[in-house]
Amino acid sequence: MGKMERFSFVALVAGIIFFLFADFISWALPMFVLKDIPKKSVEDLAAEAIAKNTTAWSDFNKLARYYPESFKKLCEYTEAYSGAGEVIKDCKPNEKTFAKALRIGHRWYIAEGCWNCHSQMVRPVSNETLRFGIPGVSNTVSYPSEFQNELQAPVLWGTKRIGQDLIRVAAVHDVDWHVAHLYNPQSTSPGSVMPGYPWFFEKDKNGNIVPNERGMALLTYIMWLGSWEVKPPKPFRIEVSEK
Amino acid sequence: MAANNQELQNLVNYGLVKAHVAMGLIFFIIVALMGFIYSLQLDGIYPFPGIEFLSPGRVRMIHTAGAAYGFLVNMFTGLLYWAVPRFTGYKILSDALGWFMFIALQAAVLITVVAILFLGMADNVEWGETPWWLDPIIVFWLLLHLLQFGAPLFKASQRGPLYVTGWYVAAMLVWTPLVVFMGNLIPRFWAVGSGAGAVQSTFIHDLVGLYVTPVAWGLMYYFVPVIMKKPMWSHGLSLLGFWGLAFFYPMNGVHHFLWSPIPMFAQYSAVFATVAVEFAVTSVLINFMMTLRGSAEQLKYNVPLRYMYTGAIFYWITCFQCAFHVTLTFQKVIHFTDWVTGHAHLIMFGTFGLWVLGMAEYVWPRLFGKETMYSKGLSEGAYWLLMIGVFAMFVDLTAGGLVQGFDWIGLNPWIDSVNFSKPFWYFRSITGIMMITGLFMYALNFYKTATAKTGLTAELREA
Repeated sequence: MGKMERFSFVALVAGIIFFLFADFISWALPMFVLKDIPKKSVEDLAAEAIAKNTTAWSDFNKLARYYPESFKKLCEYTEAYSGAGEVIKDCKPNEKTFAKALRIGHRWYIAEGCWNCHSQMVRPVSNETLRFGIPGVSNTVSYPSEFQNELQAPVLWGTKRIGQDLIRVAAVHDVDWHVAHLYNPQSTSPGSVMPGYPWFFEKDKNGNIVPNERGMALLTYIMWLGSWEVKPPKPFRIEVSEK
Repeated sequence: MAANNQELQNLVNYGLVKAHVAMGLIFFIIVALMGFIYSLQLDGIYPFPGIEFLSPGRVRMIHTAGAAYGFLVNMFTGLLYWAVPRFTGYKILSDALGWFMFIALQAAVLITVVAILFLGMADNVEWGETPWWLDPIIVFWLLLHLLQFGAPLFKASQRGPLYVTGWYVAAMLVWTPLVVFMGNLIPRFWAVGSGAGAVQSTFIHDLVGLYVTPVAWGLMYYFVPVIMKKPMWSHGLSLLGFWGLAFFYPMNGVHHFLWSPIPMFAQYSAVFATVAVEFAVTSVLINFMMTLRGSAEQLKYNVPLRYMYTGAIFYWITCFQCAFHVTLTFQKVIHFTDWVTGHAHLIMFGTFGLWVLGMAEYVWPRLFGKETMYSKGLSEGAYWLLMIGVFAMFVDLTAGGLVQGFDWIGLNPWIDSVNFSKPFWYFRSITGIMMITGLFMYALNFYKTATAKTGLTAELREA
């Protein structure tokens, strides 16, 4: 027994061998099981959304049409932390601008701690497929390949649900609803305890409150969540609005 | 006695203990306040609406990351500077390194606060919200930490078997840099999606299980026998507890994401290992309770010891609860609810918080050459407020979590679950006020003890 009480034995067996064994079972093997699912970069995701003409792409176009001034600012906006460090000269809704908006939106989704109150995982239990998403439009349980991309590294499954799950949110609300909701959550959801995010908005020339460049990116990211599951495409889906 | 004291003073660097414990207490109060402010958002009375850098989401990340790096790392490091040289008989590697590490740690915490609040640079790893470029620096710090405390342990180990505390600390010194490296950098640069989720969940649990738990139990194995002036009841149970924890704890992590797209074998192994850990924990608890046998009278007047045994009982409650709610059946209801928040607060505040407060209260007067704390009343008052506050919060959030979980299954409109939760959230804020008041009383007592001009002497109890 004396050996088990020595520094070197404890450090080697408990500290390293047991730790590596546990890591092998807990995540190295699962990663090995999942290794054949291709990892997508943000550019891949943007290209795929455009090729499949998903709701995320149409919503991005819609945002660009509604708020052309802010869209121009989004093209000029750069930040190093999210890897969107480039000013885009060809300022139109295209693969490049879409990927940039997703990156910036994803960064601010994390920075604002959205993931502290909103999960991004539909579990196969507790009626979650019925609750999140719209029956007949999107009622799928979360599956590994939808997370196998750069925007889920680290994964955003979340820790707590004070608000709803967001991984199917593209099927639930319109981009207009999200603009109002992000500025003042209580305006669309009475009784909500979500804080408003006025710093994602600014006043335009006519004095209207419009999303600024970060707001545009965040809205693009939110409207992307679950857009790959929305079938049929948007014009045919059920409209949910409060008025 | 005087010569003996001088010898101990040469062994332990009192300045480092004082600095770390004081900073740990300051950060404890700050992160508790952050948590309280965040809870006000859920009550609809957030004091700083519309201010970008005080947005509740950002404040919440300071609450969790600050608790890990500001409060616990400071407190534990300070207490290790006291305990490790005393039970090994050797000094730490270098005092200058100790001061460098102290400043580096405070700088790392402050950089994290600035990055999260003002720069919007956060990482979506719970307990690893530090921006990713800071994580390699933290790993480097932890390697210095390994050298600093590894040196006396290694020297002592050349002479003969290490005491129980030594095993826990030795294993922790190796685990922690590995854990922080794994949890913060692998899911960002290598793994994605479900694989990243598996790494992150392993990290969340390993930081608790392979840093906080071993340091805390190691210190308990040191302080409890010292305070009661008698050895642990069973050395065999100490061995069983340590090796049980060392083998099963690292495998627990994936239980944070049950019913997720992580392959089921990993989920099952996590459930199995978590239930196994509860047996190891129970063996440790039996050991501590049997050590108390015949000395329970001391709990009446010895506040540090009372903190430690209260924390131990809370620890057992949390682990007992964990053995049930880790199952796939319980997870259907309680996952993503306030139940988990209650569980986390009982373990982090109720157990580890109370333990370090007890240990610090034992060490603090001795650091200043005094026999006792400044005020018995403040000491007792803080204990009762903290203990009742955290347990009330635990009961409240557990109940609230069940309400939310069943409401979600019932497919009621989402806003119903928010409205039903509000009474629980109000009550949670009230328990928060109790805990913060307790912490302020505790801190005042610390300040008064440190600055008291006269030597404070222990009062003799009437038989």
